[in-house]
Order: sequence, then structure tokens, then C-alpha cells
Amino acid sequence: MLRRLAVGLVLGLGVLLGGCASQGSVSLQEVREFADASAKLGGYAELSRRYRDTYEREQPYLPPQAERIARENDVRRRAVYDDFVAIQKTLVLYMQTLSLLAGEGRYDLSERIDDLGNGLKANAESGLQQRHVAAYTGMTRLLTRVIASGYQNRSVETMVRDGDADVQVLLDAMISLTRLYYKTNENEKKTVLGIFDVELPFSNRNTDRMLVTLAKVHYLNKATEYKLIDRRYELALQGLTKVALGHQKMRENMNKLTGDETRRVLANYARDLRAIRDGLNGD
Amino acid sequence: MQESSHDKTSPSDAGAAQDGITPAHAAPVTGALAAPPANARGDAARTAHGVGAGGLSSMQQVVELADGLSTIADRLHERILREIRSYDGRGVPVQVQDAMRRLLDDEMALRQRANTLYADAAAFVIQGLDQPQSRVNALTAAAAEKIRRIGVIGEVTGLVGGLLSLAGAVATGQPTPIVLAIEKIQLHSTTLDALTPTPPTAAA
Repeated sequence: MLRRLAVGLVLGLGVLLGGCASQGSVSLQEVREFADASAKLGGYAELSRRYRDTYEREQPYLPPQAERIARENDVRRRAVYDDFVAIQKTLVLYMQTLSLLAGEGRYDLSERIDDLGNGLKANAESGLQQRHVAAYTGMTRLLTRVIASGYQNRSVETMVRDGDADVQVLLDAMISLTRLYYKTNENEKKTVLGIFDVELPFSNRNTDRMLVTLAKVHYLNKATEYKLIDRRYELALQGLTKVALGHQKMRENMNKLTGDETRRVLANYARDLRAIRDGLNGD
Repeated sequence: MQESSHDKTSPSDAGAAQDGITPAHAAPVTGALAAPPANARGDAARTAHGVGAGGLSSMQQVVELADGLSTIADRLHERILREIRSYDGRGVPVQVQDAMRRLLDDEMALRQRANTLYADAAAFVIQGLDQPQSRVNALTAAAAEKIRRIGVIGEVTGLVGGLLSLAGAVATGQPTPIVLAIEKIQLHSTTLDALTPTPPTAAA
């Protein structure tokens, strides 16, 4: 009697949940890795801060009339800094959440159930018939997959599908802003270095020697600093572009996120993003 | 730094009048140009301020204008260096030095004007982003709620454990474990009822 109850209960749950059993593999590993790498990309926040603080750095090099305009520019830049950063925060939170939603394989209990199923089979003479054991193990595997992967996959798909248009708009804004940061930085760089191009040739008296030496050292330091910074703009732009492309790829392959091709492409984007982040951290 | 470069009619001098440290000999010219924006770059800045109404193409035009100013500054810098190099290591006469410094000051002012336009363009970029941002935030919040519920799916493990205990108990025919296992299963299936997957459209 109890045996029938047990089997009936299992089958009942099967009927309850079986309708949702159309999902594929539970693994959304590549989605998770891509979202993780996107959330941790870096670059933009630092370059936003740098943009905000432009005036502090260039102020000592500015002649009076340029300095006056620079002060106004400083006010303009500071007024919008929070908004610039808010865009990134929104996207980071989105990506972190997407990563969590894509979860890890911890809900996939297939392996454990197989083990236990095998144990049951070994115990076949105990009363459970072989077909019950088979039904039971199959059922429980299905159950866990259905609940976990079905719900998870669909949630990931929902998020990506509903989010893509806005995510692309925000990424596009971040890319545009980073380009403007870069252009502003170019003018800063040329302002800081420019005075030395002009003044060093004028300073050729013996009494200028110490000053000239210090100036040359300063110039070299600054030139190196800006060279490194230029690389960061480049990396940040590459990274943002890859985040945009990767998300678009997910959106386009909504129904086959677990397909080999999509997984491969997403894995590549995630790998590129990690490499870019390493590049940003390496300097 | 130089403070003595406001003695000519270069457009960049317009901004110098309010510095309060403008050399006396510059006063007539800069005074005439003092009301900003009364020159070409002032016009450029005014264009930028009007960009909000003009839309994206205006923003691009502002960026192009700023790029143009930056390029002119670059050319000016090259021109200054060429002039200095033309003395080929011989001493550059003091008056030429002063002239070059004034040009350098103009170059810096041009760069600042360009940066003003970049700042205007940047402010424009974020206009209208409130909606996309709040939608993404809402989506993220909804997803976070789903994650919370998926977290409860950890209960599935318990359910499976219960089923296995039941199966084992049934196999051995011992009553007490059977009752315990059934209770456990009932508990978990109640939880699972709340977790029945909903179609994406409803979930959104």
C-alpha cells in the first residue's frame, strides 16, 4: 500500500510539473561568465572620475584666460558626474543580477540522483519493481531539471529580452561619454605637455640648467603617464563595445542560449572582457 | 606661467578681460570684447547651449565643432614649434619668445573652448536616459526577486531527499521512517507549489 502511495506521489508530482519539461541543459555557465565579466569590466568609472577631475590636473599649466574657461568647464563637468556614474551603476547591478539569475549548476542534481538510483536498483529485490525505480529516478531528475533550469532559463531569457533595448542605449551612452572623456583628455595632455615644447628651447642660459633638467624629467614623466592613460581609454571602449555585442548576441539567440554556437561566442566575449580587465588592472 | 598675452585681437582674448590680471596695455582691446560671447568661439559655445532642443545631429555638430577647435589648436602648436625651430638653435629673440608665448596661450584657450563643447555634448548624451535607466533598474529588481525564489528551489534538494527516504523506507517496510518521509515530502511540495514556473511574459 505504502509502495503504491510512494509511486503515486512521484507520478503525481510528475504530472504537476511535467508540462514544463521542455527546457534543455541547466547550464547557463557562459551567460553567467559573460555577465560577471561585464559587471567587473572597470575602466569607465575610473575614467569618469578622471574626466571630473580634469581641472585639478591641468590648472597649474593654464594661462589666465584659459584658466577662466577651465573653471567654468570644471563646474559643468562636476554637475553631471553623478549622472554619468549612475548609468554605470545601473548596468553593473543589471549584469550582477543576470549573473546570479543564470546561477550555477548547483540545482542540477542529476548526478546525485543517478548514484542514488543505482543504489536503489541494487536493492531491487526489496519490493520496488525495476520499472518503479526507473520511473522514480527519471522522475526526480526531471523534477529537478524542470524546476531549476526551466525557471532559471526562462528568467534569464526574460531579463535579456526585456532588457536589451535599454541596456544597449545605456552602453551606447557610456561609449559616447568615454569618447568625449578621451577627447577632453587629449586637450589636457597637449596643454600639460605643450608649454615644455615652447619654453625648453627658450631656456638656454647656463643659469637655466637646473630648471631645464627638472622640466625635462617632469615632461618625460607626464608623457609616460598620458601614454598609459591613452591605453586605458582604448581598453575601456573595447570592453564596452564587447559588452554591447555580447548582450545583443544573447538577445538574438534567446531560444538557444544553451546552444553550442551561442555558448562558444559568449564564452569568447567573456574571455575578451577578462583580458581587457586584466589589461586595465595591469598598468 | 605667462600672464602677458592679451595684447592683441585674437579671439581668445575675449575671455581675458575678467581675469583681473590682464596687463594694462591689453585693456583697450579686451575691454571691447569683454561682453561674452562676442567672438567666434563665443558663438560656438552659444550653439552648444542650444543643443538640447536640436537633437542628436546638433550634438554631433557640437562635437565636430569641438574637434575642429582642437585641430586648430594642434596646428597652432605646430606653427609655434616651426617658428622656434627656424632659429635652428640660435637664441630666439625675446620679442619672438613673447609672441610665441601669446600664441601658446591662445592655443590653451582654444583647447578649453573645445572642452567646453565636449562637456556640453556629454551633458546631452545623458539626456533622456532616465527612462532606460529606471526600466533597467526595475528589470533588475524583478530579477532579484526571481533569484530569491530560485533560492527557495534549494528546497528541491530536500524534496528529492524526502522521496529517496520514502523509497528506502518503503523498500525496508519500516513504518516510522515512512511517516517522516511523507511529512517531509508534503512540506516540500507545498513550497514547490509556490514555485511553479510562470511563462516569461507573465514573469516580466
